[in-house]
Amino acid sequence: MTDEFGGIVVEGVARSFGSVQAVRDIDFEAPPGEVTALIGPNGSGKTTLLLILASLLAPDLGTVRVAGFDPVSQPGEVRSRVGWMPDTLGMWESLTALEVLTTLGALYGMSMADRSRRANELLAAVNLTEFGRQPARVLSRGQQQRLSLARSLIHDPQVLLLDEPASGLDPGSRVELRSLLRSLAAEGKTVVVSSHVLSELDEIADRAVFVSRGQSVKSQTLDEAGSQVRRYYVQAQPMSALAAALESYGVRFETRGDSRRAEFLVQLGSTAEAAWLLRTLVMGDVVVTAFAPAGGALEETYMSLDTDRR
Amino acid sequence: MSTATEPSTPHPVRVATRLPFWSAVGTVFSLEMRQRLRGRGWYWMLGIWFVVIGFIFVLGTSLLGTTDNEGGILFDLVVGFVLLFGLLVAPGLSANAINGDRAGGTLAILQVTLLTPAELLAGKWLASWVGSLAFLVLSSPFIFWALALGGVNAQEAFVSLLMLAVELGIVCAIGVGVSGIANRPLFSIVSTYMLVALLAIGTVIVFGLSTTLVMEERTMTTSYYTYTESSLDNMGAPEAGAEMECVTQTSQGMIPHTEYIAWLLAANPFVVVADAVPYGTEGLPDEAGPDPVPGDGPYYTPGIMESISQGVRAAQAGPDLDQTCEELAQSLRPLPQKAPIWPLGLGIQLVLAAGLLLVSRRRLTMPAKRLAQGTRIA
Repeated sequence: MTDEFGGIVVEGVARSFGSVQAVRDIDFEAPPGEVTALIGPNGSGKTTLLLILASLLAPDLGTVRVAGFDPVSQPGEVRSRVGWMPDTLGMWESLTALEVLTTLGALYGMSMADRSRRANELLAAVNLTEFGRQPARVLSRGQQQRLSLARSLIHDPQVLLLDEPASGLDPGSRVELRSLLRSLAAEGKTVVVSSHVLSELDEIADRAVFVSRGQSVKSQTLDEAGSQVRRYYVQAQPMSALAAALESYGVRFETRGDSRRAEFLVQLGSTAEAAWLLRTLVMGDVVVTAFAPAGGALEETYMSLDTDRR
Repeated sequence: MSTATEPSTPHPVRVATRLPFWSAVGTVFSLEMRQRLRGRGWYWMLGIWFVVIGFIFVLGTSLLGTTDNEGGILFDLVVGFVLLFGLLVAPGLSANAINGDRAGGTLAILQVTLLTPAELLAGKWLASWVGSLAFLVLSSPFIFWALALGGVNAQEAFVSLLMLAVELGIVCAIGVGVSGIANRPLFSIVSTYMLVALLAIGTVIVFGLSTTLVMEERTMTTSYYTYTESSLDNMGAPEAGAEMECVTQTSQGMIPHTEYIAWLLAANPFVVVADAVPYGTEGLPDEAGPDPVPGDGPYYTPGIMESISQGVRAAQAGPDLDQTCEELAQSLRPLPQKAPIWPLGLGIQLVLAAGLLLVSRRRLTMPAKRLAQGTRIA
């Protein structure tokens, strides 16, 4: 199926390190042309799965197809088509940003002209052109992160594996990362992003796979996530009027405890229901000062999965 | 720039699934060399090296001022010290090549490319070898100085330097191999030093201890020169111009048959270098003259490496159970080489280095089935 058009298909993959079962049973699918988010608590096996996809780790069990190839038996085919950005920042500190990119280009068999053209393009794309001739050690964490992203793109891979790409990025860079990933997906590339920043993923990802304790527990598209039951927080002036109004409409609410402002949380089944409630409150002369989803769609799913965070 | 977009690729980037071996090795080599040339540590080591070699050379020159074989001895001294310090420096340059990258998080970045483990190891080895050859090049002023003093023929000089370079290459290969096997840089550097010590010192210790195993009781005839009874005065001192005579005596005793265990010394780097070098024989006392009595002709003083060569040849020859007066006269001449032992030694060293590199290569082959305890790929 996906073999013809690339993408990633993972079925029943397991991998243990000694007695630690890092990945127990993960099913995972990332179609080309979409951004797939890999979501899970720390230690849930996200990085291990990405290492397996990047052909650095062999799975104990299960089948893996990356761009139609098996990373274990056809690592060369996979590596030439996969760009991998690790979660650890390792860079040759004395090399300039441009040299880092051209060296990697050479290791993907690109010609001299190809790799220097591509390196310059990518430095421009991640806003590091002015650092092209500076040694990598002068780069800040966020800049190194961007260089690492450019490095993973040097050979124009069909499949992009990004492990926590947004960590350490300033808000401006996050916006740029988002538009870069969207444009890559628009070109038909397969993009997999693992991240904790769920609100980020809401805007980038087309679909999400949730993993917990080495198992894939849920897979959904963002459209599905958007239409599920969500919590909204409501603030009003004064809160007592809001409480009275909600009680009269028979809407159950709770006082949100983890915020410094006083606010109520209500659970609503759909956006239509939310629109009805807001309209009704305003018409009922409750001075509503805030009415918004309590978290992103993915965060809702994440919290509802009841995964224990370790 | 306000919007980040994927750079357009008018001509799509063509990507192979395999790299030409030497271009991949060359890329790793230039990656390593660039880092080394831009770092400080290497220059510090080179500077210290130059000062130490220079100090030893000047010290040697002043002490040897009167010896007739000055050029040869100084050349040998430089070769010996370059080898000694090379054995100390090369592990430092090579033994963190792989696991240092792993600790720095850059190894996985290389492994995820089309680079194969063999290409990675070859590039790393070449870079550390060239790095340690720089130390040899830096010693060249002293080498040329010693050569200018004469007494060393071109062949001897060339083979000495060639074998030095080969030995440095082997130590670098051992270091790179160990660095791919051991998890931590410190551990692999210490392990490489231990292996080098095993070769350089361990072989000598094992040889020494093994002599007790090859002791045999034998009747031995020895000869020596002494002054005749009549030529001694009443104080027991020889008169001026007294004649010497050759005395032969036979005794029984335990004799080590070192010819059985001489091969133990083969893998010693000093032995490999010394045994491979064809030391010139010109300038030596002539073939036994009419009455070759020691003390008459000019003494030939061999340098340190040549002495090692002579020692090994003596060990290979074993004890002379029947030493005649004629042989005694010859004994001041250097022993000729019967069977070269250095090919054996070089072979042992190559097998060791190749074995380590092969294990290392298997460890670096990705996707990894098994990871060493406590390591992370990235």
